Amino acid sequence: MSNSSLELKNVTRKFKDMVALDALNLEVGAGELVALLGPSGCGKTTALRIVAGLDRADEGQVILKGKDINALPAHKRNMGMVFQAYSLFPNMTAAENVAFGLQMRRVSKNKRRDKANELLELVGLPTHAHRFTHQLSGGQQQRVALARALAIQPEVLLLDEPLSALDAKVRTNLREEIRRLQLSLGTTTIFVTHDQEEAMAVSDRVAVMNKGHIEQIDSPDVLYNSPATDFVAGFVGSMNRLRATKTGSSLFVIGRTVGASKGGPNVEGEVVALVRHESVRVKPDATSDILIVTRSFLGPVSRITCKLPDGDLVHSMMSSAESSSLRPGDPVKIELLDKELLFQRAE
Amino acid sequence: MSQTEIQSRKGASIRGTLSGQSLGLILGILPLVSFMGVFFFWPLWSVLWNSFQDNLGAFTLSNFQLALAEPYKTAFSNSISLGLISAITSAIPGAAIAYVIESRGGQRLRQFVASISGVLSTTGGVPLAFMFIAAYGAEGSATAVLRAFGIDIYSGNFTLYSLAGVIFVYSYFMVPTMVIVFSPAVHGIRREWHEAATNLGATNAQFWRRIGFPLLFPSFISSLLLLFAAAFSAYATARAMTSGSVALVPLMIGNLVDGNVINDQMNLGKALAMGMVFVSLVAMIPYLLIQRRASRWQ
Amino acid sequence: MFARLKALPLAFVLLISGVYVLLPIGSAAEFSLRQPATQDHGFKNYLWIFEQPEFAHYVGVSFALAAVASIILLALLVPTVVWLNLKGQKLRPFVDFITLMPLVIPVVALAIGAQNSLPEFAQTNQFILSFLYAVLAMPYAYRTLDTGLKAIPLKTISEAARGLGANWTVTIFRVISPVIRGTVLSALFMSLALSFGEFTITSLLHWDTFTTWVTVISQQNVMGAIALSVFSLAAIFIFLLLVGLLVKPATSQVTKEEE
Repeated sequence: MSNSSLELKNVTRKFKDMVALDALNLEVGAGELVALLGPSGCGKTTALRIVAGLDRADEGQVILKGKDINALPAHKRNMGMVFQAYSLFPNMTAAENVAFGLQMRRVSKNKRRDKANELLELVGLPTHAHRFTHQLSGGQQQRVALARALAIQPEVLLLDEPLSALDAKVRTNLREEIRRLQLSLGTTTIFVTHDQEEAMAVSDRVAVMNKGHIEQIDSPDVLYNSPATDFVAGFVGSMNRLRATKTGSSLFVIGRTVGASKGGPNVEGEVVALVRHESVRVKPDATSDILIVTRSFLGPVSRITCKLPDGDLVHSMMSSAESSSLRPGDPVKIELLDKELLFQRAE
Repeated sequence: MSQTEIQSRKGASIRGTLSGQSLGLILGILPLVSFMGVFFFWPLWSVLWNSFQDNLGAFTLSNFQLALAEPYKTAFSNSISLGLISAITSAIPGAAIAYVIESRGGQRLRQFVASISGVLSTTGGVPLAFMFIAAYGAEGSATAVLRAFGIDIYSGNFTLYSLAGVIFVYSYFMVPTMVIVFSPAVHGIRREWHEAATNLGATNAQFWRRIGFPLLFPSFISSLLLLFAAAFSAYATARAMTSGSVALVPLMIGNLVDGNVINDQMNLGKALAMGMVFVSLVAMIPYLLIQRRASRWQ
Repeated sequence: MFARLKALPLAFVLLISGVYVLLPIGSAAEFSLRQPATQDHGFKNYLWIFEQPEFAHYVGVSFALAAVASIILLALLVPTVVWLNLKGQKLRPFVDFITLMPLVIPVVALAIGAQNSLPEFAQTNQFILSFLYAVLAMPYAYRTLDTGLKAIPLKTISEAARGLGANWTVTIFRVISPVIRGTVLSALFMSLALSFGEFTITSLLHWDTFTTWVTVISQQNVMGAIALSVFSLAAIFIFLLLVGLLVKPATSQVTKEEE
């Protein structure tokens, strides 16, 4: 990408006994929101902290708008960061927190106050300006933290799992609001999270990280539909892992033959096929020896769990209308919607 | 908590005092409160009462007139200086140690320092005085060791048997006391605050000036008050160290009580004691003011 | 390199504090071993102490007073603090305040007050000291117990026990006491140590205990008094450190939950 705003080149960070980042490369375009997604310990937070200047890379470069900022100390980088929780200064009101960065930039008192009020309004807390941290709920605290980070008109907005300490409902609301604000302000943003649904919901692109490097970086759709590696396939979406036999370019799974995806490992015989829940459809069939174990109603869709004759479980995600007649214990047959399946080496 | 919530809480507790439930609550603390009443507040009240009486039991202010004249005036000034200097000279290194240990030390080191400080803070009294006399006296080997490193504590006119000596001995349990009471406050300064401030463009110094110090200040002041109270009223160490050569109020009260010094007015000692209580209560004022301010965000 | 730079202040602080703490102890210990008559080192001063018949007597007296003080204190405080944590949140500021006062009010004033106000029968019984020691140790013991108990979800635990059908007696003795044992023990040992070393009130009320005895013998035998001081400080150090080591596992198990 030529108009990249932020670029990480071969960034390596080693701690005592582990490599947190292993020659990481990442480009973020101007105004883009990129999520760093991965399990804990994959290096996503370390990458963010290196961008912020709170941690130093052992090797490699951090380039902001064409300039190497490796040597720039954190307080001169102009990066707004939102932490997981508890980052508001407890001795200041919400408005004073938001105005803090401006004060450090010697903005006049009146301008600071106006800007703080404007931002508090933007995050939906216009009446909370004079509250102290302990008078705000967790969600409100994160909103103030977001306003505080945006107040300095940051080069890059860095979000370090900002929603992980919140309740599910607040989390969904706030993540949509973050996206709305980010789009309207056009702020280049990096969003670190371990929640794949969250990453998919808000990002332009998602970088799936594993063991200090990026496995795949793509738009949520591409990532979901064509995962490049086993790891990505396993991490994104929900997969059934079914015993299968591979012969040449075809897989034999649950009594039928389907195509084997081309990207998989070069093996023959026993493998594990990866099947998305929504690719599995079940239909009543009195002659079948596959039985329904449970059906969980999730609103528009339902999850149906079936038991194969060999005891393995298969999960299916179907529209609730279509599956409404199914009951635990019913015999069913299974259909697969995919013509080609991802597969892994047998465990 | 919002303003209205605070008000409604106050309202609830006022209304609550009348209900039977609250009576039950008070019963729960009654044993402790009665004990403190009999063995602490009642004796103090009796001192206060008698300090306004002459030898025949009539009301008088003469005890206080005497207590504020020489030699007691000097004694008060000495005791207050001892309290202030001791508190400050112990609080600053104590706070620094707490900061370095909490911010740089690992879990095990922190626990180790906490238990050592706990033990040291309970020392004091006569044994500690004798230990210092043995170690830092003219013949002591600690004096000799320091001299070998080029530090001669007797090169000026320092002697252990002076106010400076008492302050030096006090620091042995007051610095650890400071470490104990101040460490939790340092521990409460979250790394996120420092990082957030840095991100927003604050230098290290700006972080401390705007966030770190304001947050630590209330704890620092309350620790200081604690140290002041301890040094101001300490008796055993001071008596063993100075054997009366420095005029300190507690020692003078002791002399009156022991009959070493006879005064015509038998309630003079009580007036002196009340004077000490008064100073201690005055010392609490800055603490209460700062606590009130800090309670906005605590 | 970066890490080493960070460790520098820590090493500096540890070195200075180490010297500051250990130098007087070591040096006083050395001093107490000096034998001026023969110009050498030995245990003569210590042997002299142990030969004094008062030694055992006063250790016994001081220990008895401290033990009674600690029992009084815990009997008062444990139920009160448990009660405050379970039900009496509203009364906490008040109790915090009155238990803090002995730290602020000069001991001398309390000593005079005790002498002035307590009835004759209390004045003539040495165990009055135990009650006053309990007052003086109150701020420390109360805070130790309170911090320890705050870390335990007492309310949840007792509600769970009650929910499972335990009555209050069972709840207190079988459920609450085992979880608070570590905290109670640290409060106990702290008040023992404080009471054992109390001097001001003891001396102003003209009673003789171990600590006042040290001043008495210092007039006959300075070296003996120094040996005795070193001995008593060392004994209390070792006692408290051992207790700290023994009590820790029980409390840390509980606090971990909170972290």
